[in-house]
Amino acid sequence: MKFHWFHLMPYPELPDDFVEKHRSVWVDYPNSEFDPAVGNRAYNEYLGQLEFAGEVGFDGICVNEHHSNAYGLMPSPNLMASILARTTTKPKIVVMGNSVALYNPAIRVAEEMAMIDVLSNGRLVAGFPVGTPMDTAFCMGQNPATLREKYREGVDLVLKAWTSREPFAFNGQYNQLRYVNIWPRPVQQPHPPVWIPGGGSIETWDWCVENDFLYAFLSYFGYKRAKATMESFWEVVDKRGAEMNPYRAGFLQFVAIAENEAEAERIYGPAACYFYNRALRVYPGFASPPGYSTIATLRKGIGSQVVDTTKLPDLTWKDIVNQGFVVTGTPDSVAQQLNEMADVMRVGHLMMLFHFGNLPDAAVRYNTERFAKEVAPKLRHRFSDWEDRWWPKDPVAAPAPVLVPA
Amino acid sequence: MLNSEKIAVRNGPAQTVYRGGRGEPLFWLHGLQRPQADDPVLNALAEHFEVFAPVAPGYDDLTEIDEIRDVHDLALQYDGLMQALGLNGVTVGGHSLGAMVAAELAAHVTARAKRLVLASPLGLWNDAYPVADLIARPVPEIDELLWAGAGHRPDIRAEEEAADPAVRVERLVTLASQLTTFAKFTWPIPDRGLRRRLPRITAPTLVMFGADDAFVPARYAEDFVALLEHGRKRVRPGGHMLPYEHPAGFAAEVAEFARVPTYA
Repeated sequence: MKFHWFHLMPYPELPDDFVEKHRSVWVDYPNSEFDPAVGNRAYNEYLGQLEFAGEVGFDGICVNEHHSNAYGLMPSPNLMASILARTTTKPKIVVMGNSVALYNPAIRVAEEMAMIDVLSNGRLVAGFPVGTPMDTAFCMGQNPATLREKYREGVDLVLKAWTSREPFAFNGQYNQLRYVNIWPRPVQQPHPPVWIPGGGSIETWDWCVENDFLYAFLSYFGYKRAKATMESFWEVVDKRGAEMNPYRAGFLQFVAIAENEAEAERIYGPAACYFYNRALRVYPGFASPPGYSTIATLRKGIGSQVVDTTKLPDLTWKDIVNQGFVVTGTPDSVAQQLNEMADVMRVGHLMMLFHFGNLPDAAVRYNTERFAKEVAPKLRHRFSDWEDRWWPKDPVAAPAPVLVPA
Repeated sequence: MLNSEKIAVRNGPAQTVYRGGRGEPLFWLHGLQRPQADDPVLNALAEHFEVFAPVAPGYDDLTEIDEIRDVHDLALQYDGLMQALGLNGVTVGGHSLGAMVAAELAAHVTARAKRLVLASPLGLWNDAYPVADLIARPVPEIDELLWAGAGHRPDIRAEEEAADPAVRVERLVTLASQLTTFAKFTWPIPDRGLRRRLPRITAPTLVMFGADDAFVPARYAEDFVALLEHGRKRVRPGGHMLPYEHPAGFAAEVAEFARVPTYA
């Protein structure tokens, strides 16, 4: 089993009266509320935490893409990944990922990700999300009626650009290019592992299995609620006759390690409430534009993660823990819960959130280090009889030395 | 009550067309909601005209608009439908998105319309009075944007939770198909270049708005008229759903406009 340290990079100073004054953390929360000095401190602190995660032994460090919001300050994950490619040598860099439909032409994604792969000497994991409704339709003006078609075409173009060794023409519906011939091309052959972060869309599961992409279910509601979704995914895998390899699946989970319940609440409670009650506040009108969910998904009765977040009541730490959104406890207890999660969900790749909303740096590092030292070793053996085909192979050449100015 | 039949269209999806009434033909393109046989506006119009009212492609089956990729494809689809119905040089009109498409049709193939009626049309954008964002409205709140006063409100919402989950899901699918079609031709800004094509329209055109239209402000009436060679505006008390707020009065006004031989 592999463990990845995921940073959302939220804006850490949403005011106490945020909920009374603003309907949404996304799309129309005015940037007059963004303090660049706070942003400067946050970016540098957050990059330091990702680097620290690499040092203490996490397999991957993860960044993602969101727009026009205070929930996550990474309009360009590639900028963050390129920094981490220089300041780390061990962890793989999991870009979760680039919303390819937002790039025109999508060849830009192939180029930038190839740059990160070359810079990091083959440590890139390439994630391709459709993107949330808020990011794609509302912030970036994409038509929800054609978003998924454009997204699929973009992924096709990126993969073809990575794997073709001769210039080719691409006559797509959304990308027309007379000459596709990217420089640089990726280190990893035939291309970096492709991960598809998603909610529960039925076509996505078929598509992942068909193309041998990893499917990552990103949810803030814990593994007990995600069980049904993952079971449906594994049914699709099984029905299509694909290998039931746990490494073809990933899941996202908040973890909070402490000595006892009182300490957990003291350390993580306020920051977790900040995350669920402020940083995750999305106006319902931005959650499900028509066309974003396909008819097949509607017919299957699969709900939307984003719509679920708009229905959250004001939560206390006890609510968050009791509903299983956060796995919390002593290292032994967390190991036991995640062991059970591995049984239930069958996920070989666990993306983990150790930073909650506005959690202070010292607490983030405490949480991170205790997990790496006291929990991860207890779980690493899980799924060791399966080959992980969705992970960068160790590079043949030694990585270039990291040159950080004194 | 109107009858409906499925009409084959050359080089495009077949379309359901509601027909009824006697008189001069009227080719009418509906707005946000799919018409039914008892549609009050179509039935009121059928008191004056022989009405031909197609259901927009995509409304009953989203795959119908897979290859209708833009307003040009859409205008040519309706041109093909008029050809199939044998309609040429008739009164053409529509409401809301239907009015925008009627204007595109009349601009693409000018001979199809001898009179054009645009009720609460989308299609232009003015930074000084932007069109409201209907797509960002939670469905239960859409009505506030559309209706200024009382009137016959056709149901565009999923009704109260039906007991049968299959019924609930099908209602959701219907609503999603209609709004997705709407979004395809209007999101993110309902400006697909109609401004450049409105001057092509040769038909005398009546532009009607509800004075209290909270979705497409009535001030757009002036923008349309300024770009039309033979445009005339009428702003009446009402909202975006003006035709549905006053079906009989609305139909009488359309009929009167269609009878006038030329502008004075």
